[in-house]
Amino acid sequence: MNNSPLKAYLRPNGSWGLRNHILVLPLHSALSSSARAIEEASQGAVAITHDWSGEIDADLERIVSTLAGFASNPNNFATIFVTLDSPNERRIIERAKLLGLSNFVHLSLADVGSMHKLVDVGTREADQLIARALLQDRIPAPWSAIVLGLECGGSDALSGITANPALGVASDMLVDLGATSILAETTEILGAEHLLAARAITPEVGVEIVNTVLRYESSINYEGIDLRGAQPSRGNIEGGLSTLEEKSLGAAKKAGNALFTGVLEYAEVPAVPGLFFMDTPGHDIEQLTGFAAGHVNIVVFTSGRGTPTGSATMPVIKVATNTPMATSLKDLIDLNAGTIADGVESLSEVGNRIFNEIVAVANGKETKAERGGHHEFSLSRLYN
Amino acid sequence: MRKILILHSSDNVAVCLSEIGNGEVIEQDGKKFSALESIPRGHKIAIANIELNEGIIKYGERMGHAISRITAGSHVHVHNVLGDRLSSGEV
Repeated sequence: MNNSPLKAYLRPNGSWGLRNHILVLPLHSALSSSARAIEEASQGAVAITHDWSGEIDADLERIVSTLAGFASNPNNFATIFVTLDSPNERRIIERAKLLGLSNFVHLSLADVGSMHKLVDVGTREADQLIARALLQDRIPAPWSAIVLGLECGGSDALSGITANPALGVASDMLVDLGATSILAETTEILGAEHLLAARAITPEVGVEIVNTVLRYESSINYEGIDLRGAQPSRGNIEGGLSTLEEKSLGAAKKAGNALFTGVLEYAEVPAVPGLFFMDTPGHDIEQLTGFAAGHVNIVVFTSGRGTPTGSATMPVIKVATNTPMATSLKDLIDLNAGTIADGVESLSEVGNRIFNEIVAVANGKETKAERGGHHEFSLSRLYN
Repeated sequence: MRKILILHSSDNVAVCLSEIGNGEVIEQDGKKFSALESIPRGHKIAIANIELNEGIIKYGERMGHAISRITAGSHVHVHNVLGDRLSSGEV
């Protein structure tokens, strides 16, 4: 197993879960309360809720991929769908099966017969699945079992020199060992896309990286906003950033120096290991949701101000960019990278600490976000 | 305690981890030079001489170019650096 110290849950389609959740997923926003009620009454199922009410519009495909990908994330032992049994809800379940979901229960309100029964039956199903999940053991897993999402939010002047490049060191180590790592946030790489494209494994992948940024930029430019001309902002300049490339590299260095294997659409599942770029919005929770839908099973989130964002399916490791914040928000921050700015630790020392934490959390160590029950979810829409 | 942070071995600039005073000697990571002016925390200092139009290298990547000759120990910022591509019109 390439000397991997990992132990994980093997799924029937060959993918690996780092957690063994029972997910309760309402496929219509009107069933949100029922899903929450099942979560509360059960012995440990997790529910998410959203605001999609079956609208059939230009965002439908994006919403189907997101919910189907989320349901089939390998960190879920099983998923309970709670639905109104509309054709598009059934389409989401079919898509989740194509993405590898084999262990699921479909509860439609009409079949079950009443709102009250829906919660009763859902809770009973959840508890049975939880009992079955407890019987599954972690088994030795290869490095490729890790699918890491790289995220930053609430950035500060130190993000680009402490937590982000240190995470890049850890990401490079994992990619080198055969794991998968995913950088995202198209808004954040704007200005450095030519530098990332130069690190693509093929010229075609490089062109895809540049085109992903151009597609985003042209969608904004038609509103008369020049994203490049306005950057870096006066605040950035006061902090010491001189060019847009420098600012964007500070975010993109979460992905270290590895070569890019490919570009993923929002919520797309990578087919092979390696470093990828996923086209997501800058919004933290929409990015996190896109990662879960793309079958990311663990996330490292760097923050300067402290952002209490977590996921129902993925453990999220929070890394502080500065020591004062790491010290004041102890119940939020897992690791402090501020020691680099304090001059007491090197990038590679902190990078190694992040790597070791990823391995420990992959093997079951609880993150602060998990302990706090942070389960944020947000659908990403392009048109509405 | 480190005074500066060199993010990549091929960089010609480093980030100041605290305010550096004019004339302050920096001896770190096998390099020794004096600051030629005071530089605020978080700002960049040249760790090598950089010629006019030469790339400014940080993270091992080209973040822009010098618009004047920059001597090691100088403050590197918007007064002597320009991004390679300033607006979408130049992409």
